[in-house]
Amino acid sequence: MYLPDGYTTLEKLREAGEYADYDLFFGPNHPGMHGNFGYVLTMIGTEVVRVRPNAGQLHRGFEKAMENKAWAANVSLIPRVCVPDPDPNEVAYCQAVEKLLGCEVPIRGRWMRSITLELSRLGSLYMGMGGLAGALGHYSTMYLMMIERDLILDRFEALTGARVYHIYNVPGGVRNDAPEGWFDSVSRLLDHLEAQMPEYDRLLYENHVVWDRLQGMAPITAEEAMASGVTGPALRATGVKADIRVDAPYAAYPEIQVDIPTSGGGDALARAVQVRLDFAESVRILRRLLARIPDGPVHADLGNLAKLKVPAGDAYSKVESSKGEFGYYVVSDGGEKPYRVSVRGPSLPAGLYLCHKHLPGMKIDDVAAWMASFAICPPDIDR
Amino acid sequence: MTPERFSSQLARFFGDDARFTDKGGAQWELRVPRDRCLPLLSFLRDHSFVHLAFISAVDWPRDQEIELVYHVWSYEHRVHVLVKTRTEREKAWMFTAHRLWGQAQAYEQEIHEMMGVFFLGNPDLSPLFLHNWHDRPPLRKDFDPKAYSLKAYTLAGLGLAPEQKEDGDVPS
Repeated sequence: MYLPDGYTTLEKLREAGEYADYDLFFGPNHPGMHGNFGYVLTMIGTEVVRVRPNAGQLHRGFEKAMENKAWAANVSLIPRVCVPDPDPNEVAYCQAVEKLLGCEVPIRGRWMRSITLELSRLGSLYMGMGGLAGALGHYSTMYLMMIERDLILDRFEALTGARVYHIYNVPGGVRNDAPEGWFDSVSRLLDHLEAQMPEYDRLLYENHVVWDRLQGMAPITAEEAMASGVTGPALRATGVKADIRVDAPYAAYPEIQVDIPTSGGGDALARAVQVRLDFAESVRILRRLLARIPDGPVHADLGNLAKLKVPAGDAYSKVESSKGEFGYYVVSDGGEKPYRVSVRGPSLPAGLYLCHKHLPGMKIDDVAAWMASFAICPPDIDR
Repeated sequence: MTPERFSSQLARFFGDDARFTDKGGAQWELRVPRDRCLPLLSFLRDHSFVHLAFISAVDWPRDQEIELVYHVWSYEHRVHVLVKTRTEREKAWMFTAHRLWGQAQAYEQEIHEMMGVFFLGNPDLSPLFLHNWHDRPPLRKDFDPKAYSLKAYTLAGLGLAPEQKEDGDVPS
């Protein structure tokens, strides 16, 4: 930093009418940061002046690694692109491969996909709401929500054997059918979650501190959100009725009623409320799905998946995750491995672009809450 | 908007430059030469395709070309359009789209780093992910991650391996 001659302390600089700025590394080792990502914030006092995203600390070269693995083997790599909400990645990739293969997923397989997607969404929304509470200093709320998320992970363990990365989808459908009594256990879980929800509402949404902190923070208009590539809850919070489950339905959603609740307002509070609305809608969708589960096989017969060959061509497939649009652009040259896989994550528009608009002028204590309100998940920026 | 109506409108503005294909499933593909790509993206944005989902790049060493794919979506018509344009592989470059969509800056910065495409007019093409990178762009097809790892992450590759000694010289 440039210092004029004779002035070495902040006090002297202030006396001389000079300001002192400093660089604050907000992440990767910061309690308010959600992963191995960071912003280098240029600060004056407690106010942010400039921001430089410091990405790359979580970069594992997935897109390159996928070019060196068999089509079906990639499913074990893909969920790691988003840790809290892994299933949308699997489904988006498998759907792109199925588009190239021209294969139809059996109806029960599509149903299982939708049920696991919604469960994954609930787990991720708990993490999002808990993360927001944590960013505002309400750590008890965060830990309580993690308990509920763990109950969802229990159901995933019973279904797939894995808790965090389920690797449940394969090109052509899902790996296995649900074990005996699994649907009932999901139903009972939903009863429990709904019964618990009023308590969390009191903790988080009827909390004056949360309202005062979030109201008016980092507002965006509907036009700005659409032009910036913002999707998912952050877009719906501006009043735009957009949801890929309705606009370009996949899995079982064409046959299931999906409503799009919007909170409107566009500030951080509206985004937080939108997450709560999405949660309630997701529970309703799960109930509709569980009410009529069709019979039949859960995956199409594609032969030996390890030797799967996909016809040359390219396809794009997208899925509405808990944070927004997750898309996979898959290119095949007719071989046993993908030629190119390109990932569209929902966090990049806010994490790398809107940060330049919103963070300057903000106090340091609001930065973590801003990140949580946009549900910025660094693994899909760094993939 | 039907594909026919859209392609006829497109033909009025771009003639034979933009080649239209209906890929099915509400996805259209448009191939344009590089110098007509930005006008086409601008045309799309003004015709309700306001959402730039992302930009991806595919390396085609066989054609000595790199293909850029712009993914745009219309909330109004619920159609996804893939705009494809190609640039030569050696000294690859393209015009920036960040004046149409601000977030394109970040996608271009990433493509510049990972695929080695220079974006003319982009305000910041500094490295975002890689640290002290001196090799070729890693997403190009002729970059071999295994060979690179052996070179960069083994003692022998770094020139730090202890010299091979006779059996008798091994210190006890």
